[in-house]
Order: sequence, then C-alpha cells, then structure tokens
Amino acid sequence: MTINVHRRIYLIAKREVLRIATRPLYHFSMIIAPLFCYIFFTTLMWKGLPTDLPIGVVDLDNTSTTRNIIRNLDAFQQTKVVKHYESFSAARVDMQKGNIYSFYYIPKGTTEKAIANRQPTVSFYTNYSFLIAGSLLYKDQRTMSELAGGAIGRATLRAKGYTDDQAMAILQPIVIDSHALNNPWLNYSVYLSNTLIPGILMLLIFMTTIYSIGSELKQGTQKEWMSLANNSIYTALTGKMLPQTIIFTIMAVAYNVYLYGFLHYPCNSGIIPMLFMGFLLVISSQAFGIFLFGALTTMRFALSAASLWGVLSFSISGMSYPVMAMHPTLQGLAYLFPLRHYYLLYVNLALNGYPLIYAWESVVALLLFTLLPFIVLRHLNTVVTQYKYIP
Amino acid sequence: MGQIKEILKDGFADTFYIWWEEIKNVFKDTGVLIFVIIVPLFYPLVYSFLYSNETVHDVPAAVVDNSHSSLSREFLRKVDATADVAIIAHCSDMKEAELLMKGGKVYGIINMPEDFSDNIARGEQAKVTIYTNMAGLLYYKAMLTSTTNVSLDMNKKIKIERAGNTTDREDEVTSTPLKYEDISLFNPFNGFASFLIPAVLMLIIQQTLLLGIGLAAGTARENNRFGDLIPMSTHYHGTLRIVLGKSMCYMMIYAVISAYLVCVVLNLFGFVQISRPFTLFVFMVPYILACIFFSMTCSIFIHHREACFLIFVCTSVPLLFISGISWPGTAIPPFWKVISWIFPSTWGIRGFVAVNTMGATWSEIQEEYHMLWLQTGIYFVTTCIVYRWQILSSERHILEGGKNTLG
Repeated sequence: MTINVHRRIYLIAKREVLRIATRPLYHFSMIIAPLFCYIFFTTLMWKGLPTDLPIGVVDLDNTSTTRNIIRNLDAFQQTKVVKHYESFSAARVDMQKGNIYSFYYIPKGTTEKAIANRQPTVSFYTNYSFLIAGSLLYKDQRTMSELAGGAIGRATLRAKGYTDDQAMAILQPIVIDSHALNNPWLNYSVYLSNTLIPGILMLLIFMTTIYSIGSELKQGTQKEWMSLANNSIYTALTGKMLPQTIIFTIMAVAYNVYLYGFLHYPCNSGIIPMLFMGFLLVISSQAFGIFLFGALTTMRFALSAASLWGVLSFSISGMSYPVMAMHPTLQGLAYLFPLRHYYLLYVNLALNGYPLIYAWESVVALLLFTLLPFIVLRHLNTVVTQYKYIP
Repeated sequence: MGQIKEILKDGFADTFYIWWEEIKNVFKDTGVLIFVIIVPLFYPLVYSFLYSNETVHDVPAAVVDNSHSSLSREFLRKVDATADVAIIAHCSDMKEAELLMKGGKVYGIINMPEDFSDNIARGEQAKVTIYTNMAGLLYYKAMLTSTTNVSLDMNKKIKIERAGNTTDREDEVTSTPLKYEDISLFNPFNGFASFLIPAVLMLIIQQTLLLGIGLAAGTARENNRFGDLIPMSTHYHGTLRIVLGKSMCYMMIYAVISAYLVCVVLNLFGFVQISRPFTLFVFMVPYILACIFFSMTCSIFIHHREACFLIFVCTSVPLLFISGISWPGTAIPPFWKVISWIFPSTWGIRGFVAVNTMGATWSEIQEEYHMLWLQTGIYFVTTCIVYRWQILSSERHILEGGKNTLG
C-alpha cells in the first residue's frame, strides 16, 4: 500500500508531537524558557528609564549657596543625593564599593570666589564603569551646570531690568532642541527588549532543532523516523519541523502581542508586519539549526556552535554597540547572524514605521537563511541513514 | 587510632584517584574540552575584538540649513569637526533628509532654522533642532553631546562679544560665572569595552563551568547502567572524596584559565586594568570555588548531555543584566535583586569590576567577598548533599540489580 506524502508528513508530525509532549526538556526550551525571558526582561526594566540613581556630595564650602546648588541637583528625577562626605577620598571609596555612581566636589572658598567674580570650579566625578548609569547622570549634570551657571547670571541680569526671556537669550544664545525619534522617553526596555527577546527565542530554536534531530540518532530511532518518511529526508524533516514551527510561531506571536499590544511599545508599522517578521525569524532559525547539524554532523559540535553563535548574536546584531563602530571584518561577519537582520527589520518597521522597501535586503537575507538546509540535505541524509551516534 | 589513619589514607588515595579520572575525562571528552578550555581561551578574544573601538565615532548626519548664514555654517563646521558626528549630506529640506534616514544613510538630522542668525543678532534665543534615529542609544548620545558642546562653545563666544569686556579674564567670568568640570573616573574613554568586557570575562568563567561540569555529569549518567551520576567503583564511596576530587580538577584548570582571562586578555587589548595583584588573587579564589560548587550542584539536574545546552546557555544574557553592571543595580526591582543573589556571577562581576576597573582594595569589596565565601560554603554543602544522595541511590540500584540477576 502506498501512502501519499501528505499522509507521511502527518504521521511524522504526529510522532513528533508525542515526543515533544512526553519530554520535559522540550517543554522547557519551547515554552517555559521563552516565556520566562519575556517576563524577565520587561519586568527588570519596568521603569524604562532608571530614576533616583544614588549620588554623593563632597561640600567643603558648606554655605547657603552651595547647599542651594545641591538642592537643585536633588530635584532632578534621575538623581538622588544619598550621602554627604567629609573628603574626596571618602567619596571615592564609597564609589568603589558601588554605593554611589557619582559625586559633586565643591572645594572650599567656592562661594567667596563666586561673589568676588573669580570664577570658582565645581567638579562632577562620574563612574563610567557603569556606562548606562554614567551616561544618564551626565545628561542631568549638563543641564544642571547650565542652570546653576545661569542662575547666578540671571540674578544679575534681572537686577539690571531684563525679563526672564531676555535673560535666557543672553545666557544661552543657542539652545539644542533634541528629538529622540519614536522613543522620546529614552525607554531602555523599548531599546533592549525588542531585540533581546527575539534573540533568546532564536537561540532556543537553534538548540531545539538540533536536539530534536540529534536525539533520533542518539536513541537509535532514526530508522523508524526515516521509514515513516519512505527514506526521503525532505519528508522526514518537514514532518519533524512542522509541529515545532507551529509552537515557536505561537511563541513569536505571543511576544509581539505582549510587547506591542499589552506594553504598548512603539509599533509604527502596525503589528501585522511584525508578526510576519516573527514567523520569518522562526523559520530562518530552524533552517540555521538544520544547517549546523548537517554541516557538523554531530550533536555535540552542532549544539556548541549554535550556543556560541547564538550568544554572540546579541553583541554583533548592533543593538547596543553599533555595527558601524566595529572592525570592518566584523561588519561583514554580522550579515551571517539572523538576529542582525531581525534587528534591522524591527528598527525599520516597528520602531520607525518606514515602508518595508527600505529594509528589503534583510528580508531577503532571512529568506536566504531558510534555504541553507538545502546545501547540507544530501549529507544530512547520509548522516541520518548511515552514521552512528557519537556522544 | 589506627582506623582513623586507615580511613584518611584511603580517603586521600581515592580523592586523587577521582581527581585523576576527572582530568582524564575532561581531556577525553571533546564536548567538555570545548567549553572548559577552548571557549574560555577564544571567546573573550572575539568579544574584545568586537568592542575594541570602545565607542562610536563619526555618526553620519544630514543637515538642513535654512539659515544659510555664516553663523549657521560655523555651527555645522564645528559639529562636523567633533569626533562623534560626521556631516555627510546637506539637504534642501526635511523631506530629503528623512529619505536619507529611511535609507539608513544617516542616523541624525540637524535642522538650522531660517531665523537662526537673525535671532542671535537681535539678542533672542536661537533654537537648533536635532532628530536622532533611536535604533541605538549611542547614536543619540553622540548627536546630543557633539551639538551641545558646540552650542556651549559658541554661546561663550557670543556672550563675550556682546559684553564688550576689556580683559580676557573678564571675558571668562562673563561667559561662565561658575565653572563646572566633568571628570570621568575609571573608564577614561567612556568606552563600551572597558565597561562590558570585565563583566563578560566573569560570566564566561561561570557559564563554561556550568556547561563543562554539566556535560561531564550527563556523560557519567549515560555511561552508567542505571543512569546514576556515580560510577560503580570502590573509589567512589565517600561523598567528600568525590566532591573534593572533582572540584580539585576544575580548580586546577580554572586557576590557569582565570589567570589568562583576568591578566592576559585585558592586557592584550589595553583595557582598563588597575587591580592590585593581592586583592585580585584573594577575590578570585572564592569566585572560582563558588562557581565550581554551584555548577556541581546544578549538574544534578542534567540527565542527558544535551540538556545543559538547552538549560544553561540562554541564562547568560539574563545573568549579565541582573548583575547590575549594565542596567543600574539600584533600578533592579527587589524581586529580581533577591534572585540575583543566588548566582556567583552577580557578586563576581560586581567585585571584579570594582577590583579591576576601579582599583578597589580588599576592604572595599567586603560585601562581594563575603557573599562569595558564603556561596562557596552553601554550594559545597548542597554539592555534598546531592552527591551523598546519588551514592545512596547508586548503591540501591546495584543492590536491586544484584537481586534481579540472582532471582
């Protein structure tokens, strides 16, 4: 009796569903781990922009003027003066302990100098070992220094009979009006979660794909699998991948709905294109997993390669550190990472809402990834039918 | 008395036997070898190379100059001269500039208003508008820093011209009655590598140990008739022997690996490295120990080799974020903060950044140092407990197996 291909694929898929349902490791890698990461990153950065970063003050002058400056600084949302120190070194030590991110240093005689028009200097020390905290503080400090400098000047100008507007024009002839397009709140979660979450999902898809093929060889069930497929590697893989594609696509839909529907992160393209991109991410990652297995033939090497490739994706995608700032070799290599293309598509579509035509290269790249298995299929066929499992 | 001596003698012999077996295992099993030796050797180099430029220079920007005045040109020339931004296109209107942005040619747009120069001449405030693509925050930072710096610089000049002072000193005071200086501590270039690499190095130690020990445990179970972690051998009868023998093997390997990571890698790329050798040594010992015992405890959950990839690899990124190095520790919600205390990497990263990047002395890393010893103690006990349990179940299996064959 001959069974047609559809029936075979259906039978293999059914077998695969059973395998997935009976093994806790699949539950973990396909459902629990992705869901955990969705919740983890978004709740960790729930505030969007950190507020009340602890800073210190070394006020050696301690007059009403300097106290006023400190009060002004404390009024900023991002900073909070938590401690006063006796000396510079006491503040430095506390910074090394990680209790404060930065401190103001007001030397003795500041007020006296200011009154006498002798231009005193106030210093602001920032710990840039914590780059994000340091950069945020820098912004406040910049505004503060302008305001404090301005406050002294404004008082003088007011006394001379200028209005506040005129005084500001005199003190700050040129001002910068900055627009952070589509993320005006500088929300870090918007900036990071949108790529970290798909990145983790991609990593798990690599692993699950390789594991599901490798475990056939390991358990010696490949004969059963291949005979169900009438020894066609195409049928065998299609049937095996199909249930996984469906589950992972549901997971991709879930994060899209969660980020754009529930948390209302910017999604200027509308959610439909992003759902499509999520699906593209799923199938390109699966294809990459199959490719790695076919190319490296053993589960051990394929899983190692997938984990190293996957973890490196986060850095080389350019989401936190721009690709243009990397060495030219790496700029070329970045094309070989699916997450890089997904990131470019996300920026183009969800973040900026540009038409898809501006990022067509990335769509093509992801589609090319889905073709990768065809290079190794013949070899994979040999591996599955003839090779023995090597631990 | 003689009995105790006998036990001690046996114990030592067995400990070294197990230690030697484990070393052979590590070098025989390519999977373990990859994660315990090869990854720690090469992965840090890849990361260092990736971030070696430290910061982004010459972010491409487009300009829409509606003012066409000498002042607006001066402003733009100065922005172009900064290290952060490079003006690559002059557009006739915003539409044209937006097209460049959409095409990914530029990441920022500077719009000089028509009345820019007139406003300054009239003594009114002139506004320069900048737009940044928020694909990355470094683009925003570069655009904002360079335009703000140029505006401050030009403001100073304009103010001096208007004031008509007679001396340079008077000029200075007119422009800025109170001078501020911003000093960057511990990371002089405000660079990405000096900030991230120390954390990545510490994370590599913990994650490769988790994977290496997990893989070894998975193999041990797979080779065992009953799927037990403990081999059937007379040498493997005491909990302490097994735990000490195995941990000694990893301690030896990681003493070398860690020395390479914290001394050679940072030096190779010229990243900030101002640690005091003694403090560094005193700090690294409990970190490696805590990681080893933590990994040995976790390895109990690994029944198959592949499981550790699926379980451990995806924790790397969350662990980096939870450590408080990239997302500020004070902004981490209390729930996650408590969770983060479980992992040696949290304390290892914080302590190492303090020692290596900020030159902290031993007294300034007390908290991290004590937490790591506490973890070493706790995870040593849990490792002993799980191994004891494994020995018992292995003995039971052998006993049952023996009965079955007899019956």
